[in-house]
Amino acid sequence: MTGFFQIVIGGLLQGGVFAAVALGFSLVYRVTGVVNLSQGAFCVLGAMAMYYFQVAFGWPTPIAAAASVVSVVAFGLIVGATTFVPAVAKLPVSSTLVLTAGLLTFFEGVALIVWGNQPYALPPFSGEAPVSFGALRVPSQGLWLAGGIAAMILALWFLVYRTALGRALQACAENAMAARLMGIDTPRMMLLSFGLAAAIGASSGLLVAPITSLQFDSGGFFTTSGFIAVAIGGMGSFAGSIVGGLLLGVAEQLAAYYVSSLFANTLALLLLLAMLLWRPNGMFSSGPVRRVDVRSDAVVHRALIRLPDGRLVALGLGLLVVLGVLPVLPLPNGVLSSLTISMILFIAVLGLDVLMGWAGQVSLGQAGFMAIGGYTAAILATNYDWSPLAGVAAGMALSIACALALSLVTGQLRGHYLALATLTFGLLVDSLTVGLINVTGGPSGLVGIPSFSLGSFDFDTSARMYWLALGVAAVAVFILEGGMRSQFGRALQAVRTDQLAAAALGVNVGRVKLAALCISSALASLSGSLYAFNFHFLSPEMVATPRSFEMIAMLVLGGEGTLVGGLFGALVLTMLPTLVQGLALYKTAAEGALLVATFLYLPEGLFGRFAMLLSRVGRRAAPVKGAPAP
Amino acid sequence: MTTPALEVAAVSRRFGGLLAVDGVTFSIAQGGLSALIGPNGAGKTTLFNAITNLFPPTSGEVRFMGRSLTGLDARRIAGLGLIRTFQTARVFPGMTVLENALAGAHMHVGATALAQMFRLPGARAEERALRDKAGALLDLIGLSAFRDAAATDLPMGAQKNLEVVRALMANPRMLLLDEPAAGLNDSETADLAALLTAIRDIGVTIMVVEHNMSLVMGIADQVIVLDAGKLVAIGAPADIQADRRVIEAYVGLED
Repeated sequence: MTGFFQIVIGGLLQGGVFAAVALGFSLVYRVTGVVNLSQGAFCVLGAMAMYYFQVAFGWPTPIAAAASVVSVVAFGLIVGATTFVPAVAKLPVSSTLVLTAGLLTFFEGVALIVWGNQPYALPPFSGEAPVSFGALRVPSQGLWLAGGIAAMILALWFLVYRTALGRALQACAENAMAARLMGIDTPRMMLLSFGLAAAIGASSGLLVAPITSLQFDSGGFFTTSGFIAVAIGGMGSFAGSIVGGLLLGVAEQLAAYYVSSLFANTLALLLLLAMLLWRPNGMFSSGPVRRVDVRSDAVVHRALIRLPDGRLVALGLGLLVVLGVLPVLPLPNGVLSSLTISMILFIAVLGLDVLMGWAGQVSLGQAGFMAIGGYTAAILATNYDWSPLAGVAAGMALSIACALALSLVTGQLRGHYLALATLTFGLLVDSLTVGLINVTGGPSGLVGIPSFSLGSFDFDTSARMYWLALGVAAVAVFILEGGMRSQFGRALQAVRTDQLAAAALGVNVGRVKLAALCISSALASLSGSLYAFNFHFLSPEMVATPRSFEMIAMLVLGGEGTLVGGLFGALVLTMLPTLVQGLALYKTAAEGALLVATFLYLPEGLFGRFAMLLSRVGRRAAPVKGAPAP
Repeated sequence: MTTPALEVAAVSRRFGGLLAVDGVTFSIAQGGLSALIGPNGAGKTTLFNAITNLFPPTSGEVRFMGRSLTGLDARRIAGLGLIRTFQTARVFPGMTVLENALAGAHMHVGATALAQMFRLPGARAEERALRDKAGALLDLIGLSAFRDAAATDLPMGAQKNLEVVRALMANPRMLLLDEPAAGLNDSETADLAALLTAIRDIGVTIMVVEHNMSLVMGIADQVIVLDAGKLVAIGAPADIQADRRVIEAYVGLED
């Protein structure tokens, strides 16, 4: 029995941090209507700053702690004021959500540059000796953590419900437009909530750092755990955030002890999926649901990119020829293999474009389908002597089956909850690829995967693999382009911008979304299979959730809703580190920064901008602004 | 006697404590052009939304071509041939004028998504036929010069006209138009009147919610007057104009 309570205490401590992250989510969500996915990174930045002030500079604990919180908040405010607040004002909610995923990547990249990729632990505030309560032993840092988080909750409660500033924050949460009419500076309130959330994150990060080990990319872990906690508790509810966080912490620790530490995460994610099915608004839904849709409609306005048929065909063929001759040219070392990787990833990004760019469904789990395709094809070809082609087909079939199962959960969900469900799916696949050691080889990966082959022809050189990927991508683009220029594409776009008006015209909104999800998952699966055959090796982190974020960056950078655009995003993000040696360290930060900057300054993407310059429509649209002749 | 196109039977719609539509009953004959009028807040749009189940009736029943609409969602109602427009034009942003019109034909596209993707001859022929039809309708309404422009770049009045074209592309048996003349100037309103009459003449039943009296009295063959959620009068335009209760509702005369 003591053992049980010991585990519960461990779970409560872990859950306290989740609760703090969830509180940050809820605070920003209430004021801005957006979930800030970069919240978890503030924990890591706080702990990192603490390490510098305390260990490297030798400052006393309280001063070092205060200095780290202040510096993280200052950094957070600068980033928030230049990216997050302008984005809330001018982007649809779904784009802002993805932008904050870019911020998460950016913060992780900054931590990587400053801190390197090794794990760090801070010394406990008051010695290593645990405190005993009868037979129960609690690490002394645990008391600091519990006390610190309780103090933060009290302070936040006092600020929000007992001060004039808190009333202004609440007013923004209730009705931003009315708040502005009342003279409240809403952008400043949004920034304030962002800064407060940074303070909560940094404080909880430096409190928990002594009893856990952190590294540059732990922010993603905190974000996802906090996100799960807030989804269990209820988006925007402070009480729900706390209860959700503690519940999640205890459930994970109990599962780790009584079931298996490898599957603790899996169980938590299944719990969340069940929760989303049973009660999508969480246990403590915070009053009326924010009218996110209204706000989205006002800002959903995308540049219209239409190329006339002739130019489209010329452009497509030209591109195909240029890309086709590349392997024959004398390329520097490593360039051809990077080109191959870009092309393979492009196939998955193409699927993401159908789902996100055309149907408007945010997916943070695209890599999950890559993993399914990659592992299925690789395992069947390596261990069961299936032909690679049959393996690829089996992977695609399994991915579509998973997409259909996922749609049972996502069918009713929109906006943040949809993004959350896809993220959960991706993380679930991650945890299975790591946990099912007998099937996938676990963390050390699957080795000895054969080359892709058709009959007796082996695609065993970089050039052959490149041509294969190029051919597959070209066929996929051709087929999809046909669909997008017909009623299917129009139905997708109608669903993206106005589901109500679409349904009033007889569009089966659910089926259209499902079709987009199936296409997207099939292409991701195909890409994952080729990826495995290309490397002759597959490990969980090659197709894990950060890959999903990377593919979103590729899509947005290249241009959503353009099909071909993703290729340019994939090329830029894959080739830059290869071409410019020494850039590898900066890759993560640059990827995040590029995604954020593209959203803010080049929303149509690289290819989108190029096509606009090329298209007649872009020039003709302007004079129409006047009244049309009757 | 033929089945009425639309039968509204004792329909009420309550929002909390407010009875926005209160036991309204009327029917609309096939091929008719009816106008639903009433002062602001009379419950016209609420009744419209109740008919199309956007906010379903709290009590009462709506029948379309003799078939009850109770429990049907927007898509199924559209599938029966009852197509509505919205009070504020809801054209699809990010699509051209022509694409918006074509989107209306969704239910009548026979080619599967796969056939469209693989550009099968049948799918391409169908697409060409739809484009011709949409082009002709845009031409009729004076929008053909802007077919490749972004729909949201059109002025509001033209967007409402585009919405009517989009609804027509769905081959409706009956059109429900929510304030189609709002924001139009006099000459545009005259064009709209001509268009509505032409649509009626090809056999489509029409019901409009409208504020513009000259439009209503000029083209409607039946006027339904709503005030404070209740049906006040129903009849031919001339009778309605002379009806004391209607004048009261509008001008607020007292004895």
